[in-house]
Amino acid sequence: MGKTFVIFRREYLERVRSRWFIVVTILGPVFMGAITILPTVIAARTHTSSSLANVIVLDATGTDLGARVAKSLAATTPGATAPRVKVLTAEQLSASEDSATNAVIAHQAQGYLVLDASTIAGTGATYAGRNATSLTDITTITAMVRQNLLDMRLEKEGIDPGRVATLTSVRLDMKTDKITDKGREAGGGMASIVFGYVIAFLLYFMIALYGQNMLRGVMEEKTTRVAEVVISSIKPNQLLAGKILGVGSVALTQVFVWIAGGLAIYEFRGAILARFGIPAAAAMSVTLPSVSPAVGVALLLFFIMGFMFYSSLFAAVGAMVSSQEDVQQAQMPVTLLLIASIIFMPAVLANPASTIAKVLSWLPFSAPIIMPMRMSLIAVSWPELTAVLAGLLLACLAAIWVSARIYRVGLLMYGKRPTFRELAKWIRMA
Amino acid sequence: MSDFAIDIRDVVKRYEEHVAVRDFSLQVPRGVVYGLLGPNGAGKTTTIRMILDILEPDSGAISILGQPVRGTKVLDRVGYLPEERGLYKKMQVRRVLRFLAELKGVDGRTADARIDEWLERLQLRTAERDWGLAKVDELSRGMQQKVQFIGTLLHDPDVVILDEPFSGLDPINAQALKDTVLDLRHRGKTVIFSTHMMDNAERICDSVCIIANGEKVLDGRVADVKAEHGIRNVALALDGGSRDSVMAVLADRSLVARYDDENQYFEIELAPGADAQQLLQRVVKGGAALSRFELIQPSLHQIFLDRVGAKGVEPGMSGNG
Repeated sequence: MGKTFVIFRREYLERVRSRWFIVVTILGPVFMGAITILPTVIAARTHTSSSLANVIVLDATGTDLGARVAKSLAATTPGATAPRVKVLTAEQLSASEDSATNAVIAHQAQGYLVLDASTIAGTGATYAGRNATSLTDITTITAMVRQNLLDMRLEKEGIDPGRVATLTSVRLDMKTDKITDKGREAGGGMASIVFGYVIAFLLYFMIALYGQNMLRGVMEEKTTRVAEVVISSIKPNQLLAGKILGVGSVALTQVFVWIAGGLAIYEFRGAILARFGIPAAAAMSVTLPSVSPAVGVALLLFFIMGFMFYSSLFAAVGAMVSSQEDVQQAQMPVTLLLIASIIFMPAVLANPASTIAKVLSWLPFSAPIIMPMRMSLIAVSWPELTAVLAGLLLACLAAIWVSARIYRVGLLMYGKRPTFRELAKWIRMA
Repeated sequence: MSDFAIDIRDVVKRYEEHVAVRDFSLQVPRGVVYGLLGPNGAGKTTTIRMILDILEPDSGAISILGQPVRGTKVLDRVGYLPEERGLYKKMQVRRVLRFLAELKGVDGRTADARIDEWLERLQLRTAERDWGLAKVDELSRGMQQKVQFIGTLLHDPDVVILDEPFSGLDPINAQALKDTVLDLRHRGKTVIFSTHMMDNAERICDSVCIIANGEKVLDGRVADVKAEHGIRNVALALDGGSRDSVMAVLADRSLVARYDDENQYFEIELAPGADAQQLLQRVVKGGAALSRFELIQPSLHQIFLDRVGAKGVEPGMSGNG
């Protein structure tokens, strides 16, 4: 039995057996299910409970615009308190606004809407209320005022009110499909963005989490001096290899459990959503973007190499320090590399074809996170992908080489944290 | 096959600022208890780490049981207990032990049987409680020391290397360690331990090597080393009072080369040409009442002081472990 395997097995089993691992692994899919299902549930619930209708309409337009808007608002929440319309003159407006404000303060209304001459001119209206910061509420109210104004103008031009309703009712849903080199993919757009984001974040999360885990493990071995006993039986390089393989396998195990759990939840999404009273049709509209086996392999490679790159660096940091206090500072350079990828994620999401997105997906330290994200947003050619993977592999080997040297020397050095100059010395003398 | 358990030839180890071990050669015969003595910082731990191939010497060669340490599996036949001790805190005791055994190439089943044996032998498994199933950090410090000790011996090594094994041991564990060392010796194993406590070494070791400042000062069988240094020492104990008169005699450099106040008695090294009878007469004439006046072999501590001098002595060192 190989000694590296003995190390591997200990690293793997001790972690997989831990309560922490079991809890996180099981809670992962539950949590992910929650964040995919909850928004649907909340959206469905909040729509009916919203009190958009409970407003005061101050109509100083001299038309029936206030009554029309009130009717539309009442239609949003049938059964709720209907909007109260006050028809008044422009001079009465400021006094009425004051009393309406008091009514809102006294919780008699959610807010009040002011319609005046500028509204008729099509330039402005005012809304004041507790929900004034709610983007969706304001969007709805604005749309209603606009729609009713439009209806009113058309009727003035002599068009039959019944015709106006049919003519102006335009309910437009923009369907977005993604076009890649392979052609058109149904349901691409939004689902791709979510998928790309989830993948990138998951990669970041796992690399950071297990990188830290590696660091703590190495530090424990060093500070308890177990390392000294172990490296009297096995070369430090074998020890490091066994640790990286062991911890990496734990992370992979967790990811596979999560993927399996996620797929299961996806499979039964109809039944799960039905329990919350969501119609099956709505649930079925949630689709997963298709992942071809080749892309799947590429994603796996990015994860494995990204993990190896960072975990070997974290292992070196663990071997460098002798105390908990030193950890934060010592790991800073490595953590910064990792965080850089996260900071640029929104930029890449906004424009995956931009130069910054391209460069970040090529650099070895950010490629494991940014490239999978780019890949799920736009098409990346196979030659480019292969080149990035090859570059990452080289960077990975270099990181392992440097880390193994720091690790070897660091394990036996106690006391003060080394400076960069001393580190360079360690790398040379190892 | 080499007759030596450990054979070190002309080894040099330099660090950035200083030479840790300088032209060091050492032959440890098989089946003995061997002491590597010296003050803190003398190069003991560096030497041990080189024997275990944890550090690579800059020059020179090291072999164990006739095989070079590098590139062979001979280290699987060596057990090592480092000076600073610790174990994986959150791991179950049995699993730690099996892990350590497997690292030395012992298969799981054999390891399990031996773990049972050892746990019982060191009373870590009794009718009330099986500590083997506990996590390491649930054990007391003394118990953890026992576990570590088991880990060192689980693969039944032919050569056992203990770095400062007595430091931090409670008296019961120290006794258990001593018994085990002697038991290993009776079974033909070789035990090498480093210590800065000369007393311990003197009691247990067959042979010793004294090193200071990275260089060998002397080595050989304890009896030979002592004989070589002649019986020029006197143990003198006072029966109360008259200390001042004795101190005056001890200060006479023509009679006393050096003395060491051991509290219960003085260990006195006679000056060259001086005679023990002369000393006795002078002390008695001074009016001292004696409870002990004995010609003794010099202690290793005395020999060490003699050979290395005060410059080799550091605050961490003591003659009485």
